[in-house]
Amino acid sequence: MTTQSWIGKSVHRVDAPAKLKGEPVYMTDRPLENPCFGRVLRSSHPHALIRRIDTRRAEALPGVICVLTHQDVPGLNGFGIVIPDQPVLCFDKVRMMGDAIALVAAETPEVAAHALDLIEVDYEPLPVVDDPLAAMLPGSPLVHESDNIHLRTVIRRGDVAQAFAEAAVVVDHVYFTPRQAHMFLETEGGVGQLLPNGELHIWCPAQAAFRDRLQLARLLDWDPERIREYSSPSGGAFGGKDELTVQHYLALLALHTGGRPVKIHLSREESTVSGIKRHPFMVQMRTAAAADGTFLAQEAFVVADTGAYASLGGPVLNLAIEHIGGVYRFPHVNVEGYCVYTNNGISGAFRGFGVPQVLVALESNIDEIARRLGRDPLDLRKQNAIVRGDLSAIGNPMTTAVGNQAVLAALENSPTWRERGSKKAAVTDPWKRRGVGIGLCMQGLGLGKGIPDYGAAVIELLPGGKFKVGISIQEIGTGNQTAYAQFAAEALGCDVADVEVIQGDTGYSADSGTVTATRSVFTGGKAIQITAEKMVAVLRSTGAASYADAYEVLRAEGHETKVRGSFAWPEAEEEIPGAFGLPHHIYGYGAQAALVEVDTLTGEVQVLEVASVVDTGKSINPMGVEGQSEGGVAQGVGFALMEDTVLREGRFLNANMSNYIIPTAGDVPKVQTFIVEVHEEKGPSGAKGMGEVPIVPTMPAIFGAIYDAVGVQMFRAPATPERVFMAMNGDPSANEDTPELRALIASGRQAGLAAQLHQTEGEGYAQPKGPGGEEV
Amino acid sequence: MVLRMKVNGKPFTVEVAPTEPLLHVLRERLGLVGAKEPCGKGECGGCTVLMNGQTVNSCLVMAAQADGADVLTVEGLAASDGRLHPVQQAFVEAGAVQCGYCMTGMVMSAYSLLQQNPSPTEAEIKEGMEGNLCRCTGYQKVFDAVNLAASRMR
Repeated sequence: MTTQSWIGKSVHRVDAPAKLKGEPVYMTDRPLENPCFGRVLRSSHPHALIRRIDTRRAEALPGVICVLTHQDVPGLNGFGIVIPDQPVLCFDKVRMMGDAIALVAAETPEVAAHALDLIEVDYEPLPVVDDPLAAMLPGSPLVHESDNIHLRTVIRRGDVAQAFAEAAVVVDHVYFTPRQAHMFLETEGGVGQLLPNGELHIWCPAQAAFRDRLQLARLLDWDPERIREYSSPSGGAFGGKDELTVQHYLALLALHTGGRPVKIHLSREESTVSGIKRHPFMVQMRTAAAADGTFLAQEAFVVADTGAYASLGGPVLNLAIEHIGGVYRFPHVNVEGYCVYTNNGISGAFRGFGVPQVLVALESNIDEIARRLGRDPLDLRKQNAIVRGDLSAIGNPMTTAVGNQAVLAALENSPTWRERGSKKAAVTDPWKRRGVGIGLCMQGLGLGKGIPDYGAAVIELLPGGKFKVGISIQEIGTGNQTAYAQFAAEALGCDVADVEVIQGDTGYSADSGTVTATRSVFTGGKAIQITAEKMVAVLRSTGAASYADAYEVLRAEGHETKVRGSFAWPEAEEEIPGAFGLPHHIYGYGAQAALVEVDTLTGEVQVLEVASVVDTGKSINPMGVEGQSEGGVAQGVGFALMEDTVLREGRFLNANMSNYIIPTAGDVPKVQTFIVEVHEEKGPSGAKGMGEVPIVPTMPAIFGAIYDAVGVQMFRAPATPERVFMAMNGDPSANEDTPELRALIASGRQAGLAAQLHQTEGEGYAQPKGPGGEEV
Repeated sequence: MVLRMKVNGKPFTVEVAPTEPLLHVLRERLGLVGAKEPCGKGECGGCTVLMNGQTVNSCLVMAAQADGADVLTVEGLAASDGRLHPVQQAFVEAGAVQCGYCMTGMVMSAYSLLQQNPSPTEAEIKEGMEGNLCRCTGYQKVFDAVNLAASRMR
């Protein structure tokens, strides 16, 4: 046994060498024997009735193996993480361009593509629902049979009217955030095969192997035990592979290819059109503060565009609502949120999960309060930031580790903030201006109150004293495979090199839920520590001097060399009524300062540097944390300045990487990461997790910096050169907060209330409670 | 057509359609999957290989254009005993790999850059890597890796 400590060391990524050598580690790179090739027929209309589907010409094409439609779905023709409202294969209606209507398997990709052209579908186009606010109003065409409002969530605390009446400063604006695309480099794809033993195997990069298996079993009418999904590693995911992507198509086709492996690998365009996106939000937010800077009240009206199907739209809305007051004390709160169906593709999970969408509104409002009170923006935040024991804006007692003060201290001490005067003065061209802005955030970790959230691991002792660790949480790029090897090596007293981590394989890995919600280090770390204790006890019982000997003893006595362990996530004691999944119990904290340079002639914004502070709890692998921080900032820069999936009447205008632009090596700022370790005693070795945190404060920091540079507030992201230029030149389009919009918001609110009344007749929406738990 | 080319020092002869992308020839016919197809339109650099000593987006090179060419893919970089090339080793040590899907293309661009310019400046590294998109890393540790590799290979 070694006594070396692995926790907190920048151990090199265990998966890096194979990936760098180009070995076939990804599911879409697997060598296949006698493969055939699958394709998906997508809709030609964003909203239409299907009158007829005729596959006969496609079936007759030489080289076609099978053509499948809704008639070939044996079980439930629907899927979706929360509610299965998305058809596997559409039959009566299409609701978005990415809707699937038919599947083809053929001898070559070329024949499969040709076969798609031969499938005849008669459509009867319907009016397109493409404005989420208008979609709420009575008389809007319906995307589904019932109301376009998928979810309404309301949280009220205190006496908002009184607080606004007494406030010294009230700031009220409307903000819009874009439909950011995940643009993971590995598009959705994989392989399905029916084995001679009757098992169906699916190789497909994913984020929830066991839940995927259940969804597949449901649509196939199969016993889930007959299905095995291999889902790790993934060439990027960020939430975009949380929902089923192509597993269901692979499963259906594999039942019709005579045992041959069938492969699907989406083109970039098909990936963009069919895959989920970050929910675009409209946030109208009114924030009140007292003359001494104390935050008094927060009021917001939030509309999230979930597109044609729910996926995780409800939970995304609720997490946004939970974070409506950010890291600050707000005694009086009135927030009303809507998740709305449209024909704008489909939205779902994306790193940050609703929080970045509302944080930009909050932090921009706070910056304006600071300016109006003549206060330093960092100092004002410090004054109002929650400390342990406070209530959050939604009334959640913050009883676990709170990183705010440590994070703010680190930010204050960062060169980007401390030396902002000289950095801003260092501008070289007279037509350019520099500014520095900040953003502060928290992010709920884990799935939230009332949602089953657990971890489990299996550890197997191998000949020679090596170990195999099985855990379903996938390696999607975050480095959890290395972190898991570190946790195991530490707990077992062995070398990281002696631990093999098997992830995402339902046939071996223990079910530990999803790789989402910044839960993977906490969940996997804890599960491994609990399981490793059992392994250590087993080893002790053998009396052997080494693991290698212990293995021989156990085998000689006919014992298993595998142990299992599991645990349930800690959760808040009190739920927030009327808001499913709220509150969270443990939060990650982060803050950023951004230095930007604005070209006043063109409106172009260059982010020069970002100081990124992350509170990780105990940092398991600091180099990995830095990587996550740098990558999160880069995605945040894209979100703030350049990225938006543009749709016109439900049709995609920029589905390729040639016109959907993500930051290049030339666009990213220099990122300096400051790790703050406020240990969480409930976490493994004090760790919390941090994967989502670094994307969250970037947009507000950049927007604050733009204001600091040129004196204009951006209200719609991305802040493209055109938008910045128009804002600087007083173009009215720069602020869409018009009387007409306010009237529309008022109508939307009224319609929402009516829909709410209608819904409470069926499923009860509990009354929100006041801070003391009283009914309001 | 019959395509004759040298890949990683070995001669290959394959029957292909003249318009088939070199990337598909490598991946589907030769089983070399190090080069990826994240965009298929020459925008992302995920399919970067060297052809006659120059980096190309292999998704945009037609088989006919590759006839007679000398192609180096990422599979040709590591030593035959599996030891990583100094560029690859630097990517490991700098922590540049996250999901890793773009990294084979990155490694080829970095390799080519350092062949042409053994002591690149910060700006030259940025420019040299601008053709390779990455969604995970924010590129910082890629720059570190190229610097580290440069210092070791000089």
